Amino acid sequence: MPFSTSRSPSTPANHAAARPAAWAGFLSLALVVLLVPVPTGAASGERTIRIAASSYAYDPGVVSVNPGDRVTIELVAQDVVHGLYLDGYGIQLRADPGQTARLTFTASRPGTFRFRCSETCGPLHPFMIGRLSVGPNLTLLRWAGLGLLASVFGLWILRR
Amino acid sequence: MTRFDLLRSPFLARLLRSRWPRLILSVAALAGFVLAIAAGLAGTPVGSRNFGIIAVWIAWWAALILVAVPIAGRGWCSICPLPLPGEWFQRGGILAPAARRRGLGLRWPRRLRNLWIQNAGFALLAISSTVILTRPAVTGALLLGLIGAATVVSLVFERRAFCKYLCPIGGFVGLYSQVAPVELRVRDAALCAAHREKTCYVGGPGGEGCPWQVFPAGLTRNSSCGLCFECLRTCPYDNIAVNLRPFGADLPRPAGRRLDEAFKSFLMLGSALAYSAVLLGPWGEIKLAAFRVGTPEWAAFAGGFLAATFLALPGAFALHVAAGRLLAGPRGNFRETLASYSQALVPLGLAAWVAFSLSFVFSNLSYLWPVLSDPFGAGWDLFGTAVGAWTPYLGAAVPTLQAGILIGGLAWAAGLASRIGHRLLGDDKRGSRRALLQASPVVGFAFVVTVVQLWLLIG
Amino acid sequence: MRPEHLARLLVILGVLLPLAGAAIILLPPLGRNGEVIEVHARVAEDGGWLPSELVVPAGTPLTLRLTSDDVVHGFAIGRSETQAVDVLPGQYSELTLTFDRPGRYTYYCTRWCGPGHWRMRGTIEAQGGGATPSSAAEPPYVRLGLDLDAPHPAPGVPERRPSAIGGEALGIDLPAGLRGRAYYETHSPYQAFQSLREQGSFSRLGDERVWDLVALLWRQATTARALEAGRALYAQNCAACHGEGGGADGVMATSLPGSLGGADDAPGPADLASLESMMGARPALLHGKILRGGMGTGMPYFGPIFTDGQLWSLVDYLWTFTMEYEE
Repeated sequence: MPFSTSRSPSTPANHAAARPAAWAGFLSLALVVLLVPVPTGAASGERTIRIAASSYAYDPGVVSVNPGDRVTIELVAQDVVHGLYLDGYGIQLRADPGQTARLTFTASRPGTFRFRCSETCGPLHPFMIGRLSVGPNLTLLRWAGLGLLASVFGLWILRR
Repeated sequence: MTRFDLLRSPFLARLLRSRWPRLILSVAALAGFVLAIAAGLAGTPVGSRNFGIIAVWIAWWAALILVAVPIAGRGWCSICPLPLPGEWFQRGGILAPAARRRGLGLRWPRRLRNLWIQNAGFALLAISSTVILTRPAVTGALLLGLIGAATVVSLVFERRAFCKYLCPIGGFVGLYSQVAPVELRVRDAALCAAHREKTCYVGGPGGEGCPWQVFPAGLTRNSSCGLCFECLRTCPYDNIAVNLRPFGADLPRPAGRRLDEAFKSFLMLGSALAYSAVLLGPWGEIKLAAFRVGTPEWAAFAGGFLAATFLALPGAFALHVAAGRLLAGPRGNFRETLASYSQALVPLGLAAWVAFSLSFVFSNLSYLWPVLSDPFGAGWDLFGTAVGAWTPYLGAAVPTLQAGILIGGLAWAAGLASRIGHRLLGDDKRGSRRALLQASPVVGFAFVVTVVQLWLLIG
Repeated sequence: MRPEHLARLLVILGVLLPLAGAAIILLPPLGRNGEVIEVHARVAEDGGWLPSELVVPAGTPLTLRLTSDDVVHGFAIGRSETQAVDVLPGQYSELTLTFDRPGRYTYYCTRWCGPGHWRMRGTIEAQGGGATPSSAAEPPYVRLGLDLDAPHPAPGVPERRPSAIGGEALGIDLPAGLRGRAYYETHSPYQAFQSLREQGSFSRLGDERVWDLVALLWRQATTARALEAGRALYAQNCAACHGEGGGADGVMATSLPGSLGGADDAPGPADLASLESMMGARPALLHGKILRGGMGTGMPYFGPIFTDGQLWSLVDYLWTFTMEYEE
């Protein structure tokens, strides 16, 4: 009995292998959408952001800065000991109520990053999450654009 | 047909026919299960230091949704500890197949032979999930309740009725098992037709009849086969094959008019979006409302969740299907078209669940090491890993992974919708044109859902 | 062994081992030398310290195994030199203490854990032979007959915060009677201002300059070490309600009226940055307020918690909200 094994989990069937040109086209367009540099042009400066932490959310929960900004986070714990760990930058603060914690860093990496609580503060602690946007969320736009491409590609090329 | 039969390897054939691999793995799962219940009920109330929470909702869940279901279909079901006490009771032993089954052995009521109870069960879990995932005592009680229910059902009904009709996990595992690159099928259906005794279904000297109440010759997809390999032991003609095959080869298929599976898809897709918003979003009020089960805020949250998954999402999907039918010119029964196109939601929903799970699995996986050394949070240190700070893993890579998987799922769903359209409307030029028109709104629906999930996870 | 029996053995082992684990932790912990007591910490609304009353023989080592059931707490013995120990959720900290002298000791939470934080206290009664410690001396506010709950506005206040540096720059010798702890502890800044005003030699100085001299007197009555100790105590114990700058805008301030122990119409925390209020306050009154607490307001009583040295360091530090002690 003949056999074949498929390699990539997101590639449906062997039907599409019959259209290598279409695949090549899709993949190169995908790379363009994902990687083409887009100038952001926003000026960078000094920002001080006061983030209040209470069980189980940050206030503000969504923070935006410009790439290159020198950002000082002031973490104010409002009920119990809370922490803040910033994905992508790996920086961490911890604050007791009554003792504001401060940390300064340069927002050199663009993108949108989650920050999470790093001190157990109750049952929902693992889900205490906020968002920091450094610059416009290009990643989201790129992938959404790629989604459009993928929809058209799937509809047309993967129909057999 | 592109299938590779694993049983061509004598080693694998012997391995899969032996009862020991399943026994060892399922007893290991049972030990972990009992430990999870014990830790949940008797251990520390702090979820992140309790085996019951971490081993179940981080480790086991990750293994299930990231590996077991996409790769092995219903493979988890073959080693799941829930049916074990009931099975051993029915069998009158651990290994040996019984001559006569114990228990009342009633047949499952015909009217309940569908997914609706599992849909309701999963919905009930979903609206309580915030407190289940975070309070060890609740997880412990839930697991105890599940194994208790499975055992009681086995005393009354025949075979693995709990697994097939009641288990809330089994509902979606069966749905998404259609994606897997593994299947169990018969080699020669004519042989089965001529075989009078049907020992695969009824039971025989080698083993018992299919616990999943499936007739192997009738298997055209993975949803109901629990990969227990009993039929390998009972078939006198060695007519069962365990094939490697392309991913998602089960779909599309003729759908019929039953909507229970469509609603399972809506429920799963809706829950992935809801969980991403409630658990992973920055909105503390919703989290607290979801957590305080029994309060008016929770009732509002639960009502919103149920309305979204049972009314809004299916309604929106139905509208898109209707729009497609308008574009293409109506043909066929609406419910059948709806049920057919809902199959496109299978890769979409699985991708949404995988992407969602990636967020909290890698960021919380470091809790697993202390919990292995100190399952009860009692100050033990069995393996020397009890002291360990929380460190999120792969924080920079996870968003890209998630986005890639979501887009992959979208492409797959779009292709699947297109193929469904072609099956419904024909492969010729005119049919193809109509098929593309009919499938487009459904693909648009999938695109919107994907963008929403993208925004919730990486936006 | 027959396969069925082997299978049954496997199952029994698989089920019994985890259950054995549960049995072990449910049994009371084994004693070692002296006593071992397990203490769970929960926020006050959920019970506080469990247990909250311990009885031990004086002179025997007591080992405490401390764990938190919810958030980050801390443990310390009041009025003692033992270091505070963090009590972390789901983890155990151990502390061995020996109470040489019999008596009642208070243990308390050292990491803010909600509005009920200060109510998280327990007592250890050390029983046995040995001299019981003599009762504490009369606090200054009792000796002076001060009413701790009466408001104390200063009849006159400076227009800006008095500056000890400005006072020092004047290069004036201050009267001996106003210098030192004895005067500082028993008089308010306004009283000092009045005394200075009355002195003929300062009559050419403007009011603001005289206030600066008051600030200088106040600063000279304490030491840099005491101020640093007071700063740390304030940050850990007081800032959450009174605010990091003393302005009664701490994160807990809004939760006090109506919270545990506070009447619904109780006033919020005192404004320690208010010139009117602080210039009329004697240090002995502040000392007494912290010692005795607020009687129906949310102000805790720190008598069992702080040593006398700690109380005075804290009081000395409080003046930095209304006076400039350094550049």
